[in-house]
Amino acid sequence: MTAALKRAGASAAVLAAVLALNFFLFRIMPGDPITGIVDPRFSPEAKAQLAAQWGLDRPMSEQFAVYVKEMLSFRFGLSMMTGAPVWDELKRRVPNTVALLLPALALSSALGIWLGVKAALNRGSALESAVLLSGAVSFSFPSFFVQLLLLMCFAYYWRLFPLSGTTSIPPPPGGMAILDYLWHLALPLFSLVVMGFGGFALYIRNMMVKALGEEYVLMARARGLPFRRVVWNHAFRSMLPPVLTILLLSLPGVVSGAVITETVFSMNGVGRFLLEATNSHDYPSAGAAFFLLALLTVGCNLLADVAYVLVDPRARRTGARD
Amino acid sequence: MKRSNYFVCFFSVFLISVFLTSAPAAASSFDISQYSGPKMKDLYYVIIRDMDARLLAMSTGKLDVLSDIYRPVDVERLLESGTADLSLASTFHGMFVTFNTRKFPWNETVLRQAASQASERKKWTRDLFSGYCEPMTGFLPVISPFYEKETTAFPPGAEAARKRLSDAGWTWNGDGWLVAPDGRELPMTNILCPPSSVAATTTEIATLMAETLVSIGVPARAAPMDFQTMLARVDVRDFDACTNAWSMSRDPDVLYSFYHSSMDVEGGYNLSGIADPELDGILHELRYAPDEAAAREYSSRAQKMLSDLMPVIPIYSRYSISAMQTGWDGIFLTDRNTADNLLTLISMTPSEGGPRPIYWNIPEEIRTLNPLVSSSAYDWMVLGTIYDTLISVDPYTFEDMPWLAESWDISPGEKGSVLTFTLKDGLKWQDGHPLTVEDAAYSIQFIKDNSVPRFYDSVKDIESIETDVKNRRLRITMANTSYWHLHNIGGGILLLPKHILENVKDWRAWQPSNTPHKALDGSMLTELIGTGPFTFRESRTGEYVHMTRNEHYMLRTAPE
Repeated sequence: MTAALKRAGASAAVLAAVLALNFFLFRIMPGDPITGIVDPRFSPEAKAQLAAQWGLDRPMSEQFAVYVKEMLSFRFGLSMMTGAPVWDELKRRVPNTVALLLPALALSSALGIWLGVKAALNRGSALESAVLLSGAVSFSFPSFFVQLLLLMCFAYYWRLFPLSGTTSIPPPPGGMAILDYLWHLALPLFSLVVMGFGGFALYIRNMMVKALGEEYVLMARARGLPFRRVVWNHAFRSMLPPVLTILLLSLPGVVSGAVITETVFSMNGVGRFLLEATNSHDYPSAGAAFFLLALLTVGCNLLADVAYVLVDPRARRTGARD
Repeated sequence: MKRSNYFVCFFSVFLISVFLTSAPAAASSFDISQYSGPKMKDLYYVIIRDMDARLLAMSTGKLDVLSDIYRPVDVERLLESGTADLSLASTFHGMFVTFNTRKFPWNETVLRQAASQASERKKWTRDLFSGYCEPMTGFLPVISPFYEKETTAFPPGAEAARKRLSDAGWTWNGDGWLVAPDGRELPMTNILCPPSSVAATTTEIATLMAETLVSIGVPARAAPMDFQTMLARVDVRDFDACTNAWSMSRDPDVLYSFYHSSMDVEGGYNLSGIADPELDGILHELRYAPDEAAAREYSSRAQKMLSDLMPVIPIYSRYSISAMQTGWDGIFLTDRNTADNLLTLISMTPSEGGPRPIYWNIPEEIRTLNPLVSSSAYDWMVLGTIYDTLISVDPYTFEDMPWLAESWDISPGEKGSVLTFTLKDGLKWQDGHPLTVEDAAYSIQFIKDNSVPRFYDSVKDIESIETDVKNRRLRITMANTSYWHLHNIGGGILLLPKHILENVKDWRAWQPSNTPHKALDGSMLTELIGTGPFTFRESRTGEYVHMTRNEHYMLRTAPE
């Protein structure tokens, strides 16, 4: 219980630090939303009006107080880019990002794990070489290059998939719209799986090779357990804590890294919004997006801790002692 | 507007000039009443940001119109694809290298003149842009009606520049670096510019300018940096020299913004810091010119004086290049407009087959469709088809042209100019309400009362607004005299419907495209109501904006 409280306290401290840094880092950055206006018809007086409209003429302490209130109440204020509530802007974009990234993470990790285990079980075979090679290629190629290549092949030359967006224009009626959406999602999803499985495959293969040489695996085999059970219930089970940790901690990175995929496939998601908000010095939007990312990171960290306890009996015992 | 007017054609710089001279010559009067439309019922603004994706969409027929093509390689690809016709025209863009004249050595006029002489604009534009832009030597774009040709022309070349410096008493030390007449050696000049990953050609221009300066003995180097950092440094005048690109307008009053000493304040655009009392006087007269003749005279004098003072070095002006899918008739093209214009949008029809939607590219996501706060050029591509102004610009001559106002008059008042506009008869908003002078007066008064920043400079000098509903007259009295009031108000202020605007509680947070039209339940209309040729229907963030033909549009009733 004490450990859980300590953990929650640490998470709250991290969030508070992120909250403060979010505010001050954006204001320390060179430029502000006003210097970004490069229009000779916009006089210094008009710029002052704009600064007043956004509250940038108020003392920094007052701006900070308003900011903290907006963030903690999850209202986030109005976007300086669009004039709309930041929350509405995020709500419009989150579904696309989630629909793309969660299946991509699930599929690429499942494929990577399966291939990694297969490669470890077939050491020295052509399969292992193929997994190692494809894993290294998948892991090391820049995503935009692979994605542009896929677009060229499957959307331009063979025209199997759409070139951009998440809907046909105009959208088809009724239930066909869902199929149309999935059709638009297919190529970006495929590209993320192709680029994502390699890291998992290489990591799992190395861990599995090590696990298969451990004494408890030898013991399990000596007990005459079926090989499949030894692999999945003993060797793989011992790998679960780090695998779960990696999976959960990669989630925030995947979200913030979505900007490339969303740009190449002209998809409207959170990643691109985050980039635009930062470039435009849209303080409320960027602040909200980074705050939510921090929340996601802290949340995933906590989840990883919980998952660790669930899958590792030693952690449960330590927790019980605490 | 014949099909033969619409052609394309450029394989080389030579052919570009052929194209430019082959477009219809400037006409003295353009008669909008000869046009009718819109002909097509549906218009989709398709948002595709990546240039390669845009080109692919163009070549697969997913786009009909592609604007803002600027990389020579893209022009070549589109030409090779054979599926699109391209058009090209000069623009109001200008790229300059600005010197900080507040400090040594760039406070020395002769050094700035020499730097301009040594700059090989023609070679740079040929090498960097394969000729798809034009070298610039003046301080206004060549297509501006106020562009002055007769300015001081110094002999070009590094040798001529060195001679100018030598004649003025400048010398060179043993290492070949320039020494001022008073014996001071020159410090390093850092030319601030965006990084090549953001603006490759601008970085290259800064590098070429640095090499040019070195060739006449000025220690210099390009200093690429994050664009926002550069803007912040320039804003507080912490620079030696920098690159600037501007989008100007047909009016020369931007010269006041760029070169009047009162604009050398934080947030002001006199970046060079030039402060010359005589120039200030001329620019003041230009800004408050009572009529067009005076405006022309002071504009000309200002440009001539600037060519002597040379606070900035004009480098080049970008061409506007656009592509239209083949298979469309009714394309409107002049020597000053590419095909992607409002008149094309109104007139275009498929060459074969029945009506079909128009797919028009927008290269950036729509940020907001609130006309009171939007500052993005891409938002205005949409808003420009919804809202209208009182007067417009003749596409052949860039002179004023009647639009919602059938006529106007500028007369001297007790304190300042008095503008009188007479609205056309029978105008209607997209929701069917009649448009009256009350709407016009309310729009302008609303903008003034709320100090809406985007339009602040246009309305701040308004003293009073009066209406004569019966005669459809709008009379605006200004606090001072200026010819530009006509353009700032008549051409710069959008007319918004009073019956919608008076219900807007917070204009900053107003989202007209997301707010259903209260009086017309079930019509699918929103509060985004104007008088333009297309009516807003739906916007899908990051995907498209759907518009449909405005059946009440003023040109819908014109004869076919």
